[in-house]
Amino acid sequence: MAPIEPDPAAAERFDAADQALYLTEVMAEIDAEVRRRRASGDLPAGLEQELDELFLEFSPVGLHGKARLRETLALVDGSAYVDVAVPVESRKAVGSQIKRLIRKSMGWYIGFIVHQIVKFAWSVSRMFHVVVDHVEDLEAAVETQRTPELPASAVPANDPGSSWWSAEAVTAVSGVSGRVLQAECGNGSLLDALLAAGVDAYGVDPIESVIEPAVERGLDVRAESVLDHLEVVADEALSGMVLTGSIQWLHPNQRHRLVALATARLAVDGVLVLHSATPESWMAETSHLMSDLAPGRPLHAETWSHLLADHGFRRTGLTFGGEDRRLDRVLSSNPDASAINGAIDAVNALLLGPGEYLLVAVRER
Amino acid sequence: MTAVHQFVPALLPRDATGQHTLALQEVLRSAGWESDLYVESAHDDLWHHAIYFERYPERAEPGDILLYQLSTASPVAEFLLGRPETLVLDYHNITPSSFYDGWEDHTSEKVALARIQAAELAPVATLGIADSAFNAAELRRMGCRETAVVPILVDITDGKPRVDDTELRRLATELPPATVLLFVGRISPNKTQHHLVEALWFYRRWYDPGARLHLVGPSFTASYVDAVFALAEELGLADAVVHGEDLTDAELAAWYASADVFVCLSEHEGFCIPLLEAMQSDVPIVAFAAGAVPETLGQAGILIDSKRPSVVAAAVHRVRGDDDLAGRLVRAGRRRLEEFLPAATGARFVEVLAALADRQAVRS
Repeated sequence: MAPIEPDPAAAERFDAADQALYLTEVMAEIDAEVRRRRASGDLPAGLEQELDELFLEFSPVGLHGKARLRETLALVDGSAYVDVAVPVESRKAVGSQIKRLIRKSMGWYIGFIVHQIVKFAWSVSRMFHVVVDHVEDLEAAVETQRTPELPASAVPANDPGSSWWSAEAVTAVSGVSGRVLQAECGNGSLLDALLAAGVDAYGVDPIESVIEPAVERGLDVRAESVLDHLEVVADEALSGMVLTGSIQWLHPNQRHRLVALATARLAVDGVLVLHSATPESWMAETSHLMSDLAPGRPLHAETWSHLLADHGFRRTGLTFGGEDRRLDRVLSSNPDASAINGAIDAVNALLLGPGEYLLVAVRER
Repeated sequence: MTAVHQFVPALLPRDATGQHTLALQEVLRSAGWESDLYVESAHDDLWHHAIYFERYPERAEPGDILLYQLSTASPVAEFLLGRPETLVLDYHNITPSSFYDGWEDHTSEKVALARIQAAELAPVATLGIADSAFNAAELRRMGCRETAVVPILVDITDGKPRVDDTELRRLATELPPATVLLFVGRISPNKTQHHLVEALWFYRRWYDPGARLHLVGPSFTASYVDAVFALAEELGLADAVVHGEDLTDAELAAWYASADVFVCLSEHEGFCIPLLEAMQSDVPIVAFAAGAVPETLGQAGILIDSKRPSVVAAAVHRVRGDDDLAGRLVRAGRRRLEEFLPAATGARFVEVLAALADRQAVRS
């Protein structure tokens, strides 16, 4: 690269706001280049993850998988044998004879100690074999409990920008000064609204075909799951996060991981917005395929508040909305009003209730 | 006359904290303060600058301010907890132990202990001085009542560093001409050099099959070093990833001079001095926005918010293929560097400590 000399004239022209704008444009071009490569087939889905997995194979923290376990066990077996036949070769003629003499005279002594070492090593090796067999049995048992994958066609299309809660979500994050991530951004309709409100928003969605309209409109959207994305975002890099879509039916382990990652990646005072169906409407309104095969179930708003509070969040807003299937109470003029309304209240509370909610929380620590 | 005495676990040459401590002593003495260095250990060449820390009580004077260079676990921390003098922390950050879990248990335990000591010291310190706002925020979370941000005193100038011509020629002749990505820092899990290897693989696949990655820095975590180079070999990059260590300042400058882009994908940095070195050597920078990197870098580099190898490769390509962009970044780096020159930083240290000493005098 040719040396770049300082340019005093350029220094005088320097303007921090210009530079920030220029760098933002450059970053947008870099993102566009990656999207172009992805669209051209240069970046097959999962390739980058494969590289990370390859690295894990060389890492002591990546010792997982049956093959790795057996491979390591073979190393233990190989090291458990101690050879007492010490090499006696020497570059000097007399050296070899001396070494042979020492080996012969010390043989009984070394042999006695080596016998005990080998016995210990084989005991350790045998113990590892038992452990590995047990682990493999456990893996097989776990595998039998795996539920079939939820087909993508069973998941309803996501168009959050036209939902009842979109305006409130936009308001909740419109005061923040940094980047705001929208999970499961779908066709980018909510991103449009966020950007129109001056929010520096971008989105992720695991289904590549779904985000195509957003890509065509030039929005900053990436085809990856929110969990995969948050893994590679720096701590406290985000000022806001809007979680919707399949977040509500994540497997409990994944939900736990999501809360931990969201806590780490949101700056203090960062705003988290979460939209979910209520458990009642989930059972009543989702397709059978969905309610049977989804890895998890939606939580009540209070449960989310509790989980978030445990991670240093304070709930600042909770709004219920969506289709309300609750039954109306009968008029008090009805002679049986008391009994009927009691039953209606019980049915409303247990089975019906509001369809969805929007929860807003702020990270305090 | 108020004295500001520094305490540091180890005083070592060619070590950022050691250099900072010695430079700060000079600044404090120039400002008219008494200032001695109390250490747990020191390099043979530096013992004449230092006094063993347990000898401080016999030399203590009323009104002394004790300034602890906090970056690792040490018995010095326990010692200072028991002292009645005004305590100031100069915090250089401690890498969270989770980065070393599974890689190197003894390092993991050592940094965990360091963080425990930091959490004990922070609430009793009168003032916490931090290299960066990122570090200051950590200090406050640990309970420090008052913090000030003053960058580390680094040995940089506004001119280009002296380059070892022999090393520069060696790099030019022993290695084939290529686009060179450079990172400088100890090879350690929090610096994530394996992501640099993955980015190089993408860069070669998409843009330049002959590109190389130069990793300069000590092999800090042995199992991680092995894994990084095993990955490089597996990806067919054994000859394309070159490691340099034990370099003199001028040799290091030669590695910077032979680089096209400085790429930092660290996940945890309390300040990141190599960013300033790259600016001083006029090497454009691409960096992942983690820890204190965004505030040290300012607008003097491409700050990426994802470390996907595809994004890193595209960012490097953008810088490499656009002279106007590279020129703007280098010039912005020159301007950014001025804010970290020792004269300005030294004056800020004196200002912060003088204000503390004045408050202390009023109280007494």
